[in-house]
Formats: sequence, structure tokens, C-alpha cells
Amino acid sequence: MNTNLFGLALLLVIGLAYPFVLPGYLTVGITMLLFIGWATSWDILGGWAGQVSLGHSFFVGLGAYFVALGQSRYGLAPWWSIMLAILAAAALAYVWGRITFGLRGPYFALSTIAFAEIFRLIAINEKWLTGGATGVFIASLPEPFGIDLFSRWTQYYLALAFALITVGIVALISTRRFGYQLRAVREDENSAMASGIDPTAVKLKAFMLSGALTAVGGGIYGIFLSFLEPHVLFYLLLSVQIALTAIIGGRGTVWGPAAGAVLLILSGEVFRTTFAQANLLIYGMLILAIVLFLPRGILGEVSRRLVRRRYARSAKS
Amino acid sequence: MPEVLRAERLTVRFGGVTAVDHVDLKLADRDILGLIGPNGAGKTTLFNALTGFVRPDEGTVFMFGREVTHLAPFQRARDGMGRTFQTDRPFEELTVLENVLIPTFLKHPSRRSAEHIARGVLDEVGLSDRADQPAMDLNLARRRRLELARALAIEPRILFLDEIMAGLNPPALREMIAFVRKLREKGLAILMVEHIMEAIIELCDHVIVLANGEKIAEGAPQQVVADSRVVEAYLGTD
Amino acid sequence: MADLIPFLQNIANGLLIGGVYALIGVGLTLIFGVMRTINFAHGEFVVLGMYAAIVFNQALGWDPYFSLVVALPVGFLAGVLIQRVILATIVDAPEESSLLATLGLSLIIANSLLLIFGGEPKSVLVPYASSTISLGGGVNLSIVLLLAGIATVVAIGGLHLLLNRTEIGRAIRGTAENRLGAELVGINTKRIHAVVFGIGMMLAVAAGVALIPLLFASPTTTGTVFTLKAFVVTVLGGLGNIGAAIGGGLLLGVVEVLGASYLTSEYRDAYGLVAFILVLLFRPEGLFGRSVQRV
Repeated sequence: MNTNLFGLALLLVIGLAYPFVLPGYLTVGITMLLFIGWATSWDILGGWAGQVSLGHSFFVGLGAYFVALGQSRYGLAPWWSIMLAILAAAALAYVWGRITFGLRGPYFALSTIAFAEIFRLIAINEKWLTGGATGVFIASLPEPFGIDLFSRWTQYYLALAFALITVGIVALISTRRFGYQLRAVREDENSAMASGIDPTAVKLKAFMLSGALTAVGGGIYGIFLSFLEPHVLFYLLLSVQIALTAIIGGRGTVWGPAAGAVLLILSGEVFRTTFAQANLLIYGMLILAIVLFLPRGILGEVSRRLVRRRYARSAKS
Repeated sequence: MPEVLRAERLTVRFGGVTAVDHVDLKLADRDILGLIGPNGAGKTTLFNALTGFVRPDEGTVFMFGREVTHLAPFQRARDGMGRTFQTDRPFEELTVLENVLIPTFLKHPSRRSAEHIARGVLDEVGLSDRADQPAMDLNLARRRRLELARALAIEPRILFLDEIMAGLNPPALREMIAFVRKLREKGLAILMVEHIMEAIIELCDHVIVLANGEKIAEGAPQQVVADSRVVEAYLGTD
Repeated sequence: MADLIPFLQNIANGLLIGGVYALIGVGLTLIFGVMRTINFAHGEFVVLGMYAAIVFNQALGWDPYFSLVVALPVGFLAGVLIQRVILATIVDAPEESSLLATLGLSLIIANSLLLIFGGEPKSVLVPYASSTISLGGGVNLSIVLLLAGIATVVAIGGLHLLLNRTEIGRAIRGTAENRLGAELVGINTKRIHAVVFGIGMMLAVAAGVALIPLLFASPTTTGTVFTLKAFVVTVLGGLGNIGAAIGGGLLLGVVEVLGASYLTSEYRDAYGLVAFILVLLFRPEGLFGRSVQRV
């Protein structure tokens, strides 16, 4: 836990300093922090509970739309909208999970794609619900304590808070009962049951937490975009990006997804300046490399070696 | 002595095969019941039906007087049923301590107290020196002890042992037998499926013999082993 | 009675388009049936066929079907290579790994195409694009669709002959039934896996060629669309079941066309998806297939 606290402190310090050091790259910073948060939230379900979801962009869109529609239609301030989004996300995740948790690995992933696609079609076509394909525009936002929510600096700090909170939550979970229950269910459901764990209940909790946190990030993303279109938000590719970020970085670890986010967003930026597009090529190449050579992801492999070395050292003493 | 486990006319069918055929069974408190029989007799299926991992087609199971026939395994675990797995199934990626922590969390939700108690269990089975070793690196004898530790960590009142003696060399076998005997003295009722006759004879108060899914003999170990029907079942008839 | 003609027209169009979907689905289901691999890049293979036709058409003026002469063998070899180099290493890993690996492959293919060809949608304009043949009774068949239908029949017929009348076909069926058993009988399952993946890719490429006169190909989106369709088709029919994949493809084609004509067209894709989810949940072995294990 001490390493995690140290890591969080480091993230906080670097995060606070970044806008002053690189003020011209705020957008990249915001993207990176959002992905740290999204990948970490995804990982609660995909890494810790072991259920790979390729439909998480749904939760991103949910958060964003709640904020946008809340503001433009009901004059609801973003923090209230986000709270509602959290409840909605948890409820939908519960129903969704209840329906599909009987499915094994890849089939579950396929079902998440199908579900997210259906929601995307609904978002595009149901004008009364989401404003349809033309999208929603956030014209104005409240100014709590005189803070301008449209300013990139404010959005950056919101994203930073999001990243810190999600990683902090996972760090907390990792040492407590819930974290171990998740790992047990992932490793061997029968063994977990013999230990008194209800696999469905654990997976549902993971799904609900994962979805709710992702939606929070979605709300911040909505403020960042200020103009929302369904195809940008409920987008299969976004789901894939989030999932791959966590997998490449290292599933089931506290810092893996964050590391993945930093690596991928940075290299994406570098790639974009040289090739101007197709930066997803990197995702493709990295995931292939991971599957073939480092199946536990970068930090996953590292942590495995550390565990062995720690044991070897203590056995010698 | 109060009955902790009772099965009545328990029957399990797979497709056209009757794996367990109307078996009756009783386990009293602080008793050790052995379940033996030739390969394919249906012992594992019966074992799984009793512990909730297989649904019986007919019959009932009672645990501590309550009917549990269709109760999920994790629910039974919470009610006091501990079991080991024949193919030892630790959580390979986790350390020995973490493996025992998980079942300990059942009765002790707080990390600190759970860890304290888990370390105690590790002491009992003699795995304290391996607490930080990944489970996948253990040898067979230690894996077996870990399996036992995990079952004990949920603080069971009934312990179901699935061929816990299999594959152990003589010294490890003697240790395990002594350990199981000590468990009974602590107040556990035990049902053990076994092939190792030495363990059956030394530990069991009663023995049930299964062949082709049916119970063909029941009684004290010495009796049962000498029973001609049992001998026939093991050697096969010509 | 006046409604019957457009209805028949729709059915005809649906079947022809469905035939191409069947081609795509059969490739996917063949790969799954023999290798238990969920090929997420299958849609991208179709797109590769499309771009091959586009390239040959723009550079050499070839009709798409002519480019099959090059595209088919190259497609087969590429499939074999991909299987050998990438997928063979993870054949014993959990199923999820093949999904991730092929997902990575699909991203690589799609984005490489984006880099090479740029993002504007492209198509192939054939001189007979608007020509039709009359079947009598007012039902007209577009030549393009008809050719696609013929290509489908030829391809699937060829596959049937291969699987049922040749030595290697028997080896393939054996490996699909029981890999261990097949090896015990002396079948080189590694080679079979490579061959099957090559065949799957070939079928996808052929489908792409047949489709390109009908639509515009976009490097990053078209692939996903067809992968999804392929999955719907194969899961509906049962992963591994070729006959059912054909049936599923035809069904999907007809449902799409009918759905577009008679129901709200925006949700056309949704019907397939809902059916897909329902089948996954209640009959994972598909409407016709053999059992798939569940948790």
C-alpha cells in the first residue's frame, strides 16, 4: 500500500506541475488523464474480475450526455448530472451484467459489443432522448466559486482528479476483501465458491463500479467537448482503445492501466506528428506484441517477477 | 450424537448414465466417514452432489438439519461446509498467504484481522515459511497442505476431503493422517473420499462403499474391507 | 397482388446479398470450427479484397472479378502466413488471446490501409453497374448482384467439394471434430490450421471483391461493419456449423432488405444485433448447431 501511496503522490505532483511546464499541451494532458481514469475503471471489470468488455464507450457516452442534456435541457449543474449518471450507470450495469454474466470470456466480449452498438443506434435515432445524430451543444455552464468550466485548465484539473480517484479506489480495493474476491473469481470460480464467494454478486459489483466510474470520466469528457455527437461517444473504437490500454499496460494491477494510457497517448501523439493519422496502428501492434510475448501486460509481467524476487529474498533471510 | 449431514436417495444422472443411484448417507458430529470404491464408482459425483457443485436429479441433502439440496456451493460454505479439490486448485498467481486470506475473509472482513488469522492457519498446516511464495511454485505435498489450509480457513463445521492423501510419499502421508486425526479432535465432522486404504483404516469410524453408483456396503472399516462384495467390486468379477 | 412483385424483388435481392454474407460467415465459422479461433479481423480481410479490386481497377483497369486471379492466391498465402507466424503461437492459450490478437490484426490492417489509401471512401465503377436482367413478372435482378450470387455459389460449391471429396478436406473435418484424435491418426494439424485460415481469408477476399461494386469502402469503418455482420451470421447459425452459416447469411440478407423496405430503416442493424444477443444467451450453439460449453 505504501508504494501505491507514493505513486499517487507522485501522480499528484506531476499532474499539478504539468500545466505550468507544458501549457501548450493541455489537451494531450487531459486526454491522457481521462484514459488513465477510463482504463483503470475498465480494469476493475476487465482485469480484476476478468470479464473483458468491449462496450465501455457506452458508459462514457452516458456520462457525457447526462451532463450535456442536464445542462441544456434542465439547467442542471454538472455535478448533479454526474451523480445521476453514476446511478444510471450502476443500474444499467446491473441489468446488463445480470443478463450476460453466464457467458464465457470471448462470448461475453461479443455481447458487450452488440449491446453497445444497440445503444449507439438508439442514441443516433431517438431525437427526443439524445438530440439524435445532430448532437447536443452545451451552451453555458455554471461557475462554481467563479471557476470557468470551459477553460482547459479547469478541465485538466477535473481530469486529474478523475485519474487520481480511480487509481486511488483500485489501490484501496487491491488490499481489501473485495480485491481478493475479484481475483479469486477471475482465477477459478469453483475454488472461489468453495471459499464462500458468490461469483455473480462479485462480478456485478465490479461491473457497477466500473461503469459508474467510467461515466464520471464521460461527464468530464462531455464538458471538454462541449458539443456531443453520438458517433463520437458511443463508438466501438473508443471501447476498444480503453480495453487495449488497460490490457497492454497490465490487467489486474493498480498502475498497469495508467502506464498503458501514458504509453499509448504519448506514442499516439508522436505518431500523429509524423504520420498525421492512423495512430491506432500502435494499439494494434502493441496488443499483438503483448498477446504473443507479454500476456500479462507490461506491468503485469513486471509485478509477477517482483513477487518471485521478493519471495526469493525473504526465503534466503 | 447429532447428525451434521444426511443424504436420502441421492441420485445423479448424466445423459443415459446413472452415476449415483439412490444413495443414503449419514454423518454424525465429530465422525469421520470414509467413501471408497473402485474407479468410476461415482464417488466424485456423489461428493460433488453433496457439496453443491453438481445438481442431483433425485433425493435430498440435509446439512445441520436444514435442506440444502439445491443450495449454491458458496452458500453452503457460508453455512460451514469446507471442501478440498482432488485436482488441487489454489489461486495459482497469488501467494500462499493470499490464498488462505481469501477464505478467511468469509468470517473476518477486515484485512488486518483476516491476515492475522490466516497466518495462524498457515502455522497449523506448517506453511508459514512459504507465506510469500506464489502458489504455482509449490511442490505436491505443500500444495496439498495449502488446499487443506484453504478449506480450514472458512472455519467449517464439516470438512469434505477429496482424495487428500493421493500421491503423497510415506512421510508426508503419515503427517497428513496425523493432521486429519487432530482436526477431528478439534470438533470437525469429516467426510473423506479415499483410495489409500491405510488412511481409511486408521482414520474412519464408518465407511461407505460405492460401486457403479450404488452403495454396496457400509460399516466399520475392518468389516467393510473384508466384505466379499467389496473385494469383488474392486477386483472385478469374471 | 401488386405488392407481391416488390416483395419478390426484395427477397431476390436479399438472397443475393445474403449469399455474400454467407461467404463471409462461412469463412469465419470454418476458422472457428477447426481452430476455435474467434477471428476479429475477418471484416478487415473482406476490406482487403475490396481494396485489391480497387487497386487493380484503378491501375490496370481490371474488372473486380478479374482481380480474383491475383487476389485469391495472395489471400490464401497471406492467411497461411498470418496463422503460422502469429496465431500458431497462441493456439493453446485461452480463447480470449486469439480475440485480442485478431483485434490487433484488424487495427493494423485497417490503419495501414488508412495510411496507404487515405480516408475517403472508394469504390469500383463497373460498366454494367446499372444493368439488370429481367426474370419475368416484373422482377429484375441487378447484374452486379447476380454475379455476386454466382460467385457465392461457385465458392461454396468449391468448398463443399473440397471438404467432402478430397483427402485434405477429410483431414480438415477430422481436425475440427477432435484435434487430438486427428493428430493420433497422423494428421498434421498445424498445417491444417494454416490451410484453413488461408481458405477463410480467401473466402473473405472473394466476398470483398463481389461487394465492392455495390458500396464504398472506407478503411477504418467498413471492416468493423462486416466483422459484426459475420459474427451475427455465424452465431445465429452456430459457430462451426457451415451449413448454418450459409443459412444465417441468407437469412440476414433477406431480413436486412425486408427490414429496410418495410420497417424503420435506421434500426435495421439493430434487429440483427438483438437476435445475436438472444441467441448468445439462450442458444449459444446457434439455431442449428451443436453444443458450445457455457459457464
